[in-house]
Amino acid sequence: MMVAHISPVFALLQTSLPHVAQPAVIAVGLAYFAVIIGISVWAARRTKTAADFFVAGHGIGLVALTVASVSTSVSGFAFIGGPGLIYTVGLGAMFIVLPASVTNVMGAWVLAKRMRLLGEARGLMTVPDAIGARYNSPASQGLAGIAMLVGIIGYMATNALAMGVVINAIFGVGIGWGIWIGMGITLAYSVAGGILAGIYNDVFQGTLMAVASVLVFLFVLKVGGGLGDISKSILAHDPKFLSPWGKMTPLAALSFFFVFGMGSLGQPQGVHKYYMLRDPMQLKWYPLLKTLGLILVLLLYFGVGVGVKAFVLNGTMAPLSAPDQATPSLLLSVTPLLLAALVFSGIAAATMSAANSFINIGAAVVMHDLPIAFGKRFTNELKWGRAVTVLMAIAAAIIAQKSGTMVAFLGIFGWGLFASTLVPSLAVGLNWDGATRDGAIASIATGLFVTLSLETASYFKAFTFPSGVTASAVALVLSFLVFFLVSWLTRRDPEKAIDPDVRLIMEL
Amino acid sequence: MSADRPHRIDLTRRAARVTLVLATCAIAGGYAAAFMPGGAPTWAPWLLAIGIPAALGGIMALGAARGSAGIGKLKFPFAFVFVVLTSGFCLALGLPANEGLQSTLWLGLPVRAAIIIYGIGLLPIVVLPVAYALTFDTQTLSQTDIDRVRELAAARTLAANEASQEAHS
Repeated sequence: MMVAHISPVFALLQTSLPHVAQPAVIAVGLAYFAVIIGISVWAARRTKTAADFFVAGHGIGLVALTVASVSTSVSGFAFIGGPGLIYTVGLGAMFIVLPASVTNVMGAWVLAKRMRLLGEARGLMTVPDAIGARYNSPASQGLAGIAMLVGIIGYMATNALAMGVVINAIFGVGIGWGIWIGMGITLAYSVAGGILAGIYNDVFQGTLMAVASVLVFLFVLKVGGGLGDISKSILAHDPKFLSPWGKMTPLAALSFFFVFGMGSLGQPQGVHKYYMLRDPMQLKWYPLLKTLGLILVLLLYFGVGVGVKAFVLNGTMAPLSAPDQATPSLLLSVTPLLLAALVFSGIAAATMSAANSFINIGAAVVMHDLPIAFGKRFTNELKWGRAVTVLMAIAAAIIAQKSGTMVAFLGIFGWGLFASTLVPSLAVGLNWDGATRDGAIASIATGLFVTLSLETASYFKAFTFPSGVTASAVALVLSFLVFFLVSWLTRRDPEKAIDPDVRLIMEL
Repeated sequence: MSADRPHRIDLTRRAARVTLVLATCAIAGGYAAAFMPGGAPTWAPWLLAIGIPAALGGIMALGAARGSAGIGKLKFPFAFVFVVLTSGFCLALGLPANEGLQSTLWLGLPVRAAIIIYGIGLLPIVVLPVAYALTFDTQTLSQTDIDRVRELAAARTLAANEASQEAHS
């Protein structure tokens, strides 16, 4: 899914974390970075080709891929922004993560097998590659690449800033230095070991997140006397908080479910990983394992959000200065310092993991998809991939440091942009031979244009959506409708429009 | 292969596509209604409550449909999940909003919240990934499928190499 990248980051931007620079926290933080460096050195020695760099040589095992996928799906939002959102709007915020019960297996049925087989048959490396192969169209591949790049720039900048905030909280070095230290380390392992380093660092980071999440959840239950007592504390003071929609309208909560459910099929950081699985037959257990992993990591999201609300209402904790202080305040007042240190390292892990994934995907778009769209190919994709990775990371750090609140704006719409531009053309297109190149191009263009124009108008307050309606949801719906309409209007004989190997994979 | 099989394949995928299109229209209708004077009418979220599970079910069925086998036994888990999601959303919309200190708690949560958290958030996990794993070999992917793809890919590569050599010579 999903939780991801709504704006973890955006949440982290609104407030700084409290400084926790104490010897135990710093020691855990240093140990964390030492492990990252060790994994990266090992991965760098194994990265010899562009395929190694961008898709880990199609050689990742099931467990590693699952944990890495959970790690990149979640980001810092599950630890900071999410609990803060629940604290503010109640259970309605759960509609962002509830689709996880369906999305992983939906992705497996709709995309996993076909992406994995296409990747092997055609030597594909990127998500736009699959669109290009499906429609036999460099133009649609290039347009998908441009749409992804727009979303990636925002994500990278926001994750860079989030890293700065977290590293400053742990080491007390200042946000500016935090950005450069965090991006420097992420860049070092991205450039040296590519996605291979990213995957195995994600495995470590995902494990760290899961352990931290479960421990914090158990602490919340222990302190609160169980979920029943926690609920009673809330019901006594603020019963609307525990209504199914919380303080949101039903339309808004259901909108979350739609955008984060259906939209999961267009998130490149998740979809891209299907290429990497060593043996396609291992897909059998992938959805079950990933869903269980996500549930573990998301326990903190629910537990802290609901628990802190109850603790504040019954006087166990002081009122929060800002919603995003829910997790830090709980950690510093209720849990042992070592667990707090673990969670803070987990938050740093989440932001670095997300940044690495997007750096890698963005670099692939720049040096692989866009040149193909213009009829060119780089002769040494590994060398150029590394060069572009450096440039993108530096650009992200500079944007994070220099552009003020604009960074938050860039980070807001990434999820919706990926959803509206990629879900119809990729997820439906790989399963419907009547989808046409024109339909795909029209759908991607619609998603890109509608998302950017509505989000911009909304950000500058030129336009206000009615309650419960978001630009992401409107763009996704319109993109679907345009895709079907244009495909029907321009339908051709699939035998001629789709290559035989692609047709076979679509029919399986 | 029997003569009616291609027709059956087309029906499975067509039904999934039609479901997806109609569900998307229902969701669009819900959003459009929110722009009416006075805000979203009370029926608007009901369109999403039915349209979202239908859209997810439609695209899952489209993805799971396979050659001449359609979706086979997967129609049961798909139907189950559609019913769970739709009834969960509709119960949350339709049951009285009377959460308070006197509320009966189900596994620690008021009834409507429990329906959403446990019904929508957890129940599908018990069914869908397990159904995926149990039907994987027959419904999703077999070693024979992989071999067919690899053969075709090898033939394509060979043809491309020969064409390239001819062009150079």
